[in-house]
Amino acid sequence: MANIGYIALLLALVASMYAAIVFVLGRRHPALIHSARNSLLAVCGLVSISVAVLLYALLTHNFQIEYVASHTSHDLSLAYLLSALWAGNDGSLLVWAWLLSIFAAVAVFRKRDIGGELVSYASSIVMVTQAFFLILLLSVSNPFQQLSFVPADGRGLNPLLENPAMILHPPLLLAGYVGFTIPFAFAIAALLTGKLSNEWLIAIRRWTLLAWLLLGVGNLIGAWWAYVVLGWGGYWGWDPIENAGLMPWLVATAFLHSIMMQRRRGMLKIWNMLLIILTFNLAIFGTFLTRSGILSSVHTFSESALGPFFLAFIGATLFGSLGLLYYRSKELKGEAEMESLVSRESTFLLNNLLLVGAAFVIFLGTVFPAIFEAVRGARISVGPPFFNQVSGPIFLALILLVGICTLIGWQRASIKKLIRNFLWPLGAALILVIVLLFLGVREWHALIAFPVCGFVFFTIFYKWFQETRTRQQMRAENYLKAFWGLVVTNRPRYGGYIVHIAIILIAIGVIGSSFYEVEKEAVLKPGESMTVKNYTLTYEGMNHYEAQSKSVVTATLSIYNYGELVGKLTPEKHFHWSYEQAVTEVAIRTTLREDLYVILIGWDEDNTTAFKVLVNPLVIWIWIGGGVFVLGGLIAFWPDSSVYAHPSGQ
Amino acid sequence: MLRKRRFLIGGITVFLAIGYLVFMGFQDSVTYYYTVSELMEQGSSIYDENVRVKGQVAPGSVEQEATGRILRFTIIDGEESLSVTYQGAVPDTFKVGAEVIVEGQFNSNGIFQAHTLMPKCPSRYVPQQ
Repeated sequence: MANIGYIALLLALVASMYAAIVFVLGRRHPALIHSARNSLLAVCGLVSISVAVLLYALLTHNFQIEYVASHTSHDLSLAYLLSALWAGNDGSLLVWAWLLSIFAAVAVFRKRDIGGELVSYASSIVMVTQAFFLILLLSVSNPFQQLSFVPADGRGLNPLLENPAMILHPPLLLAGYVGFTIPFAFAIAALLTGKLSNEWLIAIRRWTLLAWLLLGVGNLIGAWWAYVVLGWGGYWGWDPIENAGLMPWLVATAFLHSIMMQRRRGMLKIWNMLLIILTFNLAIFGTFLTRSGILSSVHTFSESALGPFFLAFIGATLFGSLGLLYYRSKELKGEAEMESLVSRESTFLLNNLLLVGAAFVIFLGTVFPAIFEAVRGARISVGPPFFNQVSGPIFLALILLVGICTLIGWQRASIKKLIRNFLWPLGAALILVIVLLFLGVREWHALIAFPVCGFVFFTIFYKWFQETRTRQQMRAENYLKAFWGLVVTNRPRYGGYIVHIAIILIAIGVIGSSFYEVEKEAVLKPGESMTVKNYTLTYEGMNHYEAQSKSVVTATLSIYNYGELVGKLTPEKHFHWSYEQAVTEVAIRTTLREDLYVILIGWDEDNTTAFKVLVNPLVIWIWIGGGVFVLGGLIAFWPDSSVYAHPSGQ
Repeated sequence: MLRKRRFLIGGITVFLAIGYLVFMGFQDSVTYYYTVSELMEQGSSIYDENVRVKGQVAPGSVEQEATGRILRFTIIDGEESLSVTYQGAVPDTFKVGAEVIVEGQFNSNGIFQAHTLMPKCPSRYVPQQ
């Protein structure tokens, strides 16, 4: 059975290599292109067969296959049996290859009639990438590797991964990473064919948006999982693995913005190429980081043989594409000049510099320990304080930029008009400062950060108000209908506004929980209480029960807010039969204002129990922001019934 | 040309600002990371500096005071050993024989005062052992 899976991958490799070669060599011969397309489809079918085989093995508990034995067990529920497909290294690489084959098939068949040569070259590049991953799967990362015996039961899934978020998080991230292959392929195709007008940009705008959305949501779900499951009270630890998912997303954000510059004004052509090359390589780097032990991390993954393969691939891709870019650089001259420092173009440029700067800084912090050790011999570690201290101001500046950019027009903006546009939002922000001071807020971070967020909110709403009023006057509709009409006919732009609002919401959550977190530890006997801020927690008692795969200890606390009983929280510790370590399940009480977060630390025989309690303000706004992010992204992504022509004017 | 230069100056300013942030970040937040033996080699120069030390929890060395939750244990790395005291939440993954990273100060009385305890978490993608 496993052999079928392996052979399917082998055939897929042959088909992808055939396609890669024939797409290029046969680009002027329709019959050959046709066969290359069919080959690409065959790749998709064959990898799908392989995936089906592995899924079948997982579902039927075929423990002779090493992967199945390592990641599942007899008592694992259906959902987790299926998600075991990406729970391990080999399986997730198989999913990478599978997603790539599907995306390739979709991309090729949507572009059936547009720009033949461009599509052919792009398809070839995608097939080369496909071949790389298939080679990995067939050699060092074989998901169908068999054991010489059949174990009675598998090792089971790490209980930390038994969570709905873990069903979504890896595939979303993988889909995001994979998705960037398509825009990259088209960029390289544009460089190879010399078709350097906006043709390739138009082809890939929605692919980039899709990959960016998936990666963003994947990161947010990862943060949510860390908060709710890992139970240390935070949602982002600046772990190399986390950073690996953030860096390509930041650079892709820059790319999405600078695409607009190229389409509107024909500017930044070389920069755009650089950005997509960087995004793709960071995505591959991210895939690689998650599998190699080269960086010490809380999730220490052992050194594996994959490292050299990935580094070779990144090296070849990076140098190949940069060399190609250099070769074509003269043909990529911009069509317009940057005119004024006070213009939307400037803010876009600054936005790009800051985003790439942030990604660079994070990259530096992530790899610095490895470099330092190689050069100086001593080991250092770079932790959250570094990343927070360095990236915080950059992100705040970016948020401020959103507000400024919303109000500034394209090309030269008249200062008078600018000041008039700024007055209302700025005024509102100043009122916010006064309100905060009145509420007793004295920390300068909050007094700067929150009003900045408020300012940006107000600029976006002010803009909406202005545009709705214009439309309402033109068409004599009521305000609501006018606004809806605006959104529907300007989906990319309004989707973008909504995404910006989402980012502000997330920022508010991050700022609140980063600066105003309160922590307290206490040791309580049943009946005793502890106080944290306005909460009193009274320890009621301890309980113990057995479930299907584990033994559970729970502690119950009654929660009083300002003296009033508001509920109970039961933090737990799970002791799984098949897993050596205890797993802590935190208890969280969420309100719009703050999270009350309780961790059960330990207990003595006499029921003296230790708790750690955190009050995390505004955390829920991060998840709400995540939802708004998806909404905005979908609106921006939704296809126009008409062809995407000129984006509507100022 | 003046226009282009204005942009160039702007770009360089941004670059310098970020560079400054990074420099300050490294100054303030980078921590040296030693094994137990390496820490001992540093001698008195390392006293009271915030550092991280890696070692294995020695069998029979773990003492936990019930009240006040003070944890005392020794970490070893084959040759040298280091006494550690730690107060706070003990992660589930901490146990005898586990590899841990402690962060804190090495005091002149020979005891390492740890404020952070990080046992290695179970890996997700692990090749067959």
